[in-house]
Amino acid sequence: MLTTLVLAALLQQPAVPPAPPPGPPALAVGAQAPDFSLPGATRYGTLKNPVRLSDYKGKTVVLAFFFKARTRG
Amino acid sequence: MNAYRDQYAQTFKNGRNVVLIAISADVDTALASWARDADYPVLFASDTGSAVGKAYGAYNAQYKLDNRNLFVVGPDGKIAYRATPFREIDPMAYTELGGAISKLVPADSTAR
Repeated sequence: MLTTLVLAALLQQPAVPPAPPPGPPALAVGAQAPDFSLPGATRYGTLKNPVRLSDYKGKTVVLAFFFKARTRG
Repeated sequence: MNAYRDQYAQTFKNGRNVVLIAISADVDTALASWARDADYPVLFASDTGSAVGKAYGAYNAQYKLDNRNLFVVGPDGKIAYRATPFREIDPMAYTELGGAISKLVPADSTAR
């Protein structure tokens, strides 16, 4: 009896779970770049002060997002 | 990241008026030790909550990591160029990126 109920419940599940919502779309050219403040690091060690985008106003900043440290790319 | 290092002098003008910030969800100590081992001349930022990745639309909800999206922010604070994703093994990607940076950075301000 219990098995039948469990089976019935399982059968009511959609065959394919809904895909997770995709992330927000990438910012477009011309958009204001959102400021941020994050812990920083260089090849000489971690930084005492956070990395803030607004500290580089007047300069050109390349923001390169990547998967994970010690992976290719 | 090796390609960014190897392109640093040319594409990123050795950091002269250009700041390269590499962002991932790694903790800062992991980024620092990786940068030390591979001698990356790059500023790393640790976005452990992925808040910045989400704000820029680089976050991949499926893998809970950031996609390899690249944005160039001009001196005015606006997005001047983007590569979503940045094709890091394609030489043309660097040519295009270098062109976008050169438009923003005064032509060889070091010459005189």
